[in-house]
Parts: sequence; structure tokens; C-alpha cells
Amino acid sequence: MPENIPNNLPDDLEQDMRQLIADVTGKSIDELRPEANFWNDIGIDSIKAIEITVAIERRYKVRIRDEQIPKITNIREAVEAVREALRKKADEQKQV
Amino acid sequence: MNKNRSNDRRVVITGIGPISSIGIGRDNFWQGILEKRVNIKLEKALLDNELLGQFYTHKIDNFDISKFGIDKDKLKDIREWKEGEEVIDLNYLIAAIKLALDDSHIDYHVENNNIGLVLAHENLGLMPFCYKLGNLSYDMLIGKTRKEMTRKNFVEKAYPTFLKSAYDVQSFADLFHIARVFNVSDYSLFINNACASGLYAFEAAAQIIRNKHAEAVVVAASDSPDILKYLWFKNLGIYSPDGLVRPFCKDSNGLVFGDGGVGIVVEDYEHAKERNASIYAEYLGGGFDLEGWKITVPQIGSNSYQKAMQKTFEHSQTAKEEIDLLCPHGVGYQVIDYYESQAITAIFGNNPKKPAITAFKPYIGHNLGASAITETAILLLALKNNIIPPTLNYNNPDTKFNLNLIKEKKSMKLTTAMKICSAFAGFNAGAIFRSLN
Repeated sequence: MPENIPNNLPDDLEQDMRQLIADVTGKSIDELRPEANFWNDIGIDSIKAIEITVAIERRYKVRIRDEQIPKITNIREAVEAVREALRKKADEQKQV
Repeated sequence: MNKNRSNDRRVVITGIGPISSIGIGRDNFWQGILEKRVNIKLEKALLDNELLGQFYTHKIDNFDISKFGIDKDKLKDIREWKEGEEVIDLNYLIAAIKLALDDSHIDYHVENNNIGLVLAHENLGLMPFCYKLGNLSYDMLIGKTRKEMTRKNFVEKAYPTFLKSAYDVQSFADLFHIARVFNVSDYSLFINNACASGLYAFEAAAQIIRNKHAEAVVVAASDSPDILKYLWFKNLGIYSPDGLVRPFCKDSNGLVFGDGGVGIVVEDYEHAKERNASIYAEYLGGGFDLEGWKITVPQIGSNSYQKAMQKTFEHSQTAKEEIDLLCPHGVGYQVIDYYESQAITAIFGNNPKKPAITAFKPYIGHNLGASAITETAILLLALKNNIIPPTLNYNNPDTKFNLNLIKEKKSMKLTTAMKICSAFAGFNAGAIFRSLN
């Protein structure tokens, strides 16, 4: 994990994300493979995508931009979006 | 805090002036609704003979501002201010206000006429500015105007070419011009709360009247489809590729723009009575909640929209059981439809029998900042005529929304109607109107 990411994140962010998305969607965690496509492989629709975004923002205390939401198509990209948001947040805090 | 109406001054609607793709003028507009008249066109945007894009839109044919009996000198002044350009959505505003004032038979030709003005628009002046900016940037990019381009040179070149027109994005000049056309000298206001602008405008008008700043207020809004607006919505993935708005359906695939504008005269009840004005309905009150999550998507699971509706009941002193007819935003985009359905069913229950629910965007498209006022105009005409127009294209309802929209025209006694809107940026709003008959 890069140094500037806060260390209060779960050790295995990917696994944590899978659990979170399983909770929101009601899908089994096994089905939520890191590279399975949300829309085509898992059957997540635009409504669920918003619910997932709400859950991610609450759990990891980050902000996902509007235009990013449809671009997050699998667990791995969701994890990267969270890391990027945290990196940005940490950089901003450093500048203060 | 006392959430009740601020004083006893009652506020009524006495004039409706629609400019829309299904008809211009109140009677033609309502006839268009009854006939399920729809005018969808494929708009093609060409740049130097290359196709930039194409999109379906509800289009007004043959609009001519010179045919509305508006003072020619004042229209000329506006054209000069706009450097010779005809700004179509500004013209819609002017024509709609004229029709609304004529419909109300209120005398606005005198100075100090005690009429106020509330304009609502999401993007007035923005498109001409964008085109000028685009043209100049392109000229510079291909070296046509490059020369020795320092920052100073750039600003000197850009100022007369397009930076000056940026002042038109500041909407006070439009407020000035329109007020001048109709001799408005009382309280005036420009509102932009995205698609909910119309409902904020009604509330502002009511407050202006209740606080005795004016005896009557003209509320008006307009919008005109444009390729640049389309590209934004297309990139967001929320524009219907086949041009059909299907609210709350399994096959909903996005919104479709609508061309037009509407003016509505809001008036003090006693003033209206004194001059024997014909009254469409009383405005009982509005409720507003700002969700504040994202600009372009609502927060599924939040209760902001419900709160807006609850506040509407409180401010209008109306019980939810009294609502006969409800008109939702009904954009035909799954996320917003779902968000709306969650709020509606939380208030009225799943598949409610009352109120009757019907959505109007399949008739006229999405007029963006003018949508709420335009759909309120239909709602007011529905109240007046005791007719519920059906929701067009409601052929494949999705059970996950738990709503039964009206599929066939229905004649029934209508007393109280509610318009609600969930707009971009989380502006959630509601308004309630009651027939006086």
C-alpha cells in the first residue's frame, strides 16, 4: 500500500470491497471475482451502481466523482478508485 | 419555526401561456395533450458539413416571435444587445409571457402596473457563448488568428469576439430586457435550480405577493435543445437513443429534450377577484429539500425527496390524502425513476390508488429548467377540465417501481394536484394547487 494512504483501511481492501458489494447486491462473494464485469457478468444495473457508490463513500470516507461512477466496472477498479480518492485526500491534507 | 403560510394573502393562477412542440397557446397546447400529439424530430448538427451528432428532440415548428404582437422596438433593442443574433429560448420566454398576460387579461400596458417577474432558466445565454468560444479557439488552433499570441493579445482578440458575450451568461440583462418589454417595474428575480426551477419560481412568486411587493407576478421559463447540451447528457449515458421517453418502464432508456417555454400569471386572490379574472387554481404552497450529494445523480436510499414532499404538505397545509393527481418528474431514466418511485411509495404506499399518477414528458420532452413549470401548466389545465391525460409510452411498466400510472384518458372530478421534481444537484421540490370550483 502506498505510504500516503491512511492506515485505517482494511489490510485486504479487495476482499473488504467484495464483502461490501456482496452486502449491497445480495450476490455471493464467490460470484464477485475481482475482474468480473459488474454489468455483463454480475448483472449490476445503474441503480445498484449508485447504491454501491453510496456504500463505498460511507465505508471508506471518500468521494467518488459523478463521471467516475459508470467507469467503475469491476471490483479491481472500485478498489483503485478508493485508493486514488484516498491518495488525493492525503495530498490535500499535506498541503494544508 | 412556523412553517405555515406567512400571511392570509391567497395566491391564485390567472394566466397560462405555453409555447411547446405540441401547440402554441393555451387551447392549442391542451388540444395537443388530448390528441396525444407528439412532434419528435431527429436533429442533426453539422459543422463544416461534417456531422457532429444527431439526437431526437420534441421540436417546435415555425416559431416566429414577430407574430405575437410584441413591441417591435423593444425586440429590436434586444437583438442589438445580442449583436444581431436571435436567441431562440429568450424569444420563447418573451412569447410565453405575452401569451400568459393576454390569457390573464391583466393590464400591463400602464407604467407602475404592480406586476413582478420571476424568470427561470438553466442555461440562458450559455450556448451562444460556447459557440463563440469554440469558433475562436478553433481559429487560433489552426493558426488563423495566432500571430504573436501573448496572453494580452489573446484577451484583446477574445474580448470583442466572445468574452463580451460572457456577460449574457449573467442573466440580469435578460431580466432587464424582458421586464422592459412588459413594463414590469416591481420585484423581479432570476432563478436557476436546474429542472426544479419552475417550482422554486412559483414559491418565489407567492412570497413576493404575500409580502405585498406586487399584486401579480409572471413566472416564466424556457429551454431549447442544442447539440452541446445533448453531448453532455449523452456522455452521462442518460439520453434516449430512440427518442422515446418511457417513464417507469422496463425499457426506459433515457430522456429526450423538449423545445419551448411557459409563462404563468400568479396573482393575489383578492386582486384577481376584483377584476373578475378567470382563476385556474390556488397555489397552496411548495416544499424544498437540497440533497447535496452529487450533481448528476440522486442518492438512492436518501430521504431527501420524501422530505421535500412532506414539507410541501406542511407548507400548503394539505394532507397527502387530499391529493387527487400527482405529476412526477418522470424522465424515463432508470436511476431517477427509481429514486422517484422510492419517495412516492414511501409517502403514498406501493401501487397507490390515490393519487392518480401521470407523467407528461412523453408528450413534450424534457424542457430542463422549464420542465416543472410546463408540466404544471398541463396539471392546471387537467384540474380546470377535470381530465387526467394518460402517460404515453407506458407500455411496459416495471414492477420494481410499484407505481400504476394512468394509461388511458380519465375524466373525473379533480380538486387538488401536486407537481414534484427531483432535479440535478439534488434540488428536490414539490408544489400543490387546488381548484376553487
